[in-house]
Amino acid sequence: MKDRLEQVLKKFSSQCDYLEVHIEETEESRVQFTGEQLTDLGKKVDFGGNVRALNKGGWGFASFNSVDRIEEFAQHAIDQAKLVGKDRSQLADVEPVRDDVPLDLKSDPREVPLERKVEIFRAYNKQVLDHHEEIASSSVRYFDRFHKRWFGSSEGAMVYQERVDLGGVVAAMTARDGDSQSFWSGFGSTDDFGVALGLEGKITEACDVAVEKLDAPKVKGGEYTVILDPRLAGVFVHEAFGHLSEGDNVYEDKNLQKVMVLGREFGRPFLNVYDTGLDKGLRGHVVYDDEGVRTEKTYLITDGKLSGRLHSRETAGKMGERPTGSARCIDYRYPPVCRMRNTCIEAGDSSFDDMIAGTKLGIYAITASGGQTNGEMFTFTAGTAFMIRDGKLAERVRDVTLTGNVFKTLKDIDMLGDDLSIHDGPGGCGKAGQFPLPVSDGSPHIRIQNVVIGGE
Amino acid sequence: MKKIIEKALAKGAERCEVFYLNSLETEVEYEASKLKNLSNTEETGFALRLVKDGRMGYATTTKADGLDRLVDDAIATSACGETAEFAFASASDVAGAKLVDDRIKALSIEEMMQRSEDAIAKVLDYEGEINAESGTKRRIQTTSVTTSEGFESTQERTLYQFYVGGRLIEGDNMLDAGGYYGGTSMDDGGSKLVDEAIEDFRNGRTNVNVTGGPTTVILTPRAVADVMLTMNYGVDGSIVERGISPLAGKLGETIFDERVSLYDDGLMESGYSTALFDDEGVPMQRTALIENGVLRSFLTDLRTAAKLDLPLTGNGLKLKRLIQTKELGKMPTTEITNWEMTGGETPYAELLAGVSDGVIVDSIMGIMMGNLVAGDFSGNVAFGLKVEGGKIVGRVKDTMIAGNIYKLLKDQLVDLSSEVTRVGLMGFIGSHHYPHLLLRDVSISSKG
Repeated sequence: MKDRLEQVLKKFSSQCDYLEVHIEETEESRVQFTGEQLTDLGKKVDFGGNVRALNKGGWGFASFNSVDRIEEFAQHAIDQAKLVGKDRSQLADVEPVRDDVPLDLKSDPREVPLERKVEIFRAYNKQVLDHHEEIASSSVRYFDRFHKRWFGSSEGAMVYQERVDLGGVVAAMTARDGDSQSFWSGFGSTDDFGVALGLEGKITEACDVAVEKLDAPKVKGGEYTVILDPRLAGVFVHEAFGHLSEGDNVYEDKNLQKVMVLGREFGRPFLNVYDTGLDKGLRGHVVYDDEGVRTEKTYLITDGKLSGRLHSRETAGKMGERPTGSARCIDYRYPPVCRMRNTCIEAGDSSFDDMIAGTKLGIYAITASGGQTNGEMFTFTAGTAFMIRDGKLAERVRDVTLTGNVFKTLKDIDMLGDDLSIHDGPGGCGKAGQFPLPVSDGSPHIRIQNVVIGGE
Repeated sequence: MKKIIEKALAKGAERCEVFYLNSLETEVEYEASKLKNLSNTEETGFALRLVKDGRMGYATTTKADGLDRLVDDAIATSACGETAEFAFASASDVAGAKLVDDRIKALSIEEMMQRSEDAIAKVLDYEGEINAESGTKRRIQTTSVTTSEGFESTQERTLYQFYVGGRLIEGDNMLDAGGYYGGTSMDDGGSKLVDEAIEDFRNGRTNVNVTGGPTTVILTPRAVADVMLTMNYGVDGSIVERGISPLAGKLGETIFDERVSLYDDGLMESGYSTALFDDEGVPMQRTALIENGVLRSFLTDLRTAAKLDLPLTGNGLKLKRLIQTKELGKMPTTEITNWEMTGGETPYAELLAGVSDGVIVDSIMGIMMGNLVAGDFSGNVAFGLKVEGGKIVGRVKDTMIAGNIYKLLKDQLVDLSSEVTRVGLMGFIGSHHYPHLLLRDVSISSKG
């Protein structure tokens, strides 16, 4: 395959400023139970590639399944780049890498027979359905993927990477008088099938929460002091800040550059936020990004001040900043764009007990069913939550959806826990039509003042 | 396709179904008011469902020389697959079908560029500080379903998508506005999308505060599409089967205000999800979901229809729930096509003029994270405008809206506009027609 890439690069490189070729082969297995039914049990082979050409600042891109016609598509991409480009190409310099990245696994999902996987998840599914009479349904989902990716560029880079990615979720749905609630436990890894095993305890907890949520009153809308658990705080930092630090939002927008100037104060002096691809085993682990740039740990906020952003070679080049190895795509059908990897808030020195004790009226929000941002404002929903009254955890409440504003809410973080933990789930991040991209996030418990909660 | 069926039968399958996809897509993207990217996507793939020893097996491939592996994978999964309790499509009169707009087929890259350039020029003409973006995309797609029971059909569809919008940053204030069209024909309403985006920029530049509490709210057709995402689950036969749909067991009952009628229309003129048959070879149709407030039907795929003993509605689709993904992998399951809610009798201008104190909600962020199955929604008002004395006075920010669709359309509906507007949500399935809805006592929370 490398020879084929070299041939194409050699033949076409002289026609444009920069050319890259990706080929990818993925094998996937999936198991899904929905209620009593095994609703999906499938295998997938996905083979395809793309050619991306840059000429005078304009990009041409062609993706394809018919890999035997790669030269035709390369010509397409180049012709289109020529049509677009009217300016000049600016890619930040990197050392062209020639490397092979083989698998390094703790426990290989490919060695577990499909029958065994079905058995494991059938047992979890049964555990959920048998747990309580008010559990009406379940959803148990598992996937594993084995990727082989070849990348070559006209600058001489040639990288072959193998990667395993797996994840899943076990969810319980409860129903009573037309009302329904759910809770779940998720997992994910890039090197260990073991994370899918021994989940019985977590599943029992999830089922109990789903049942208890039926009794929980809806939260009353308004402004509250909120304590986020590490899972929810991880989603918070991803949505509240991570996306705005992606270089492609900023590099062509002069007004946003004024707002997002390095050194601007976003939080109090104890707030530090980073994004890293270095943590092995996490779904946000990356060795080389999809432009062949080695990954790193990038500080986004240092001592409360904006200190970095997530760059592709182009956004770094145009802004005169350092590339961070953050150009990622979900698969060969898409060009790489600036994305997060594993985004974390660093630990502080408060204990969880002190946070609760110091809160007169507030909400303790636990885990997230998702989050979204439009740049300035963001929103996310807690999986479950409790009221805090007079410094103590009180009754469980439901339907806790929070909103915030990047320019205000980060400054309202007034306590950081000493208990950083990092999480993976089966989902991923969506951007520019590319969903789901595997990412991780982490945080300690955090406390935020003046958060708007939706509700009646 | 026949060859795959022969191979599968030779390896012991009792019956099988092959789905084939081929699509060619061309996209023009403008970013920061400039042409940024041109792309082409060629996709070819096969999905095989088969029944062996009474059990279902499933596999997909995009590797043209990987068909033996495809059959082996499907056979392997059948060893632990579910008991197959439904039949694949059998011989039918839907043989070959075309849903082709020749204008889309003939559309050149230059023309696509021109469309986006014109739209951007208009946006910049209103305000040069806007970071404008636009894209034009066209796709020519062929799908076919072939079964061992003699069903064989191929359909060709053309798809056209266009968006225009931008971001205006003034100080720390970010204002996004834009419009999107997606359909099987090219009728995107010309410059209407641009005009609407400019009107949103105009209305949204001044921020005003809003007090929380029960509030009179107008949902625009776009926001109606947002909150109706919750209903997708309620009427989904597979959710009904699992006993978690709030609508289970309520066929024939009045669930909404009698002015509410709602249709799933797989045959909607130029709709994005319009096709002649679904991904299981079942003819698509217009299905009355709610008529005059009465629940009339649930949506089904082959498996769900057999399980619940309900009529087939042609909703067995391979696209992932709600989100359009370029992927072949998923088994066909019940998905919505294009939705239409019929309008009321009051013109929108009159509806608006009658609001003495309220909020227009135009788009809601985070709707997907709520307890959709129960019909609950809660999210940030991504674009909302305050109304005083029947007039728009400015934009509301840092504000949440929450509610439940089954209460909203039953007890809180004041009126529906007579105009019904086509909306598509970028990245989501379908083209939908909705009126503006005037609602009472909707819960709004805000920094105030």
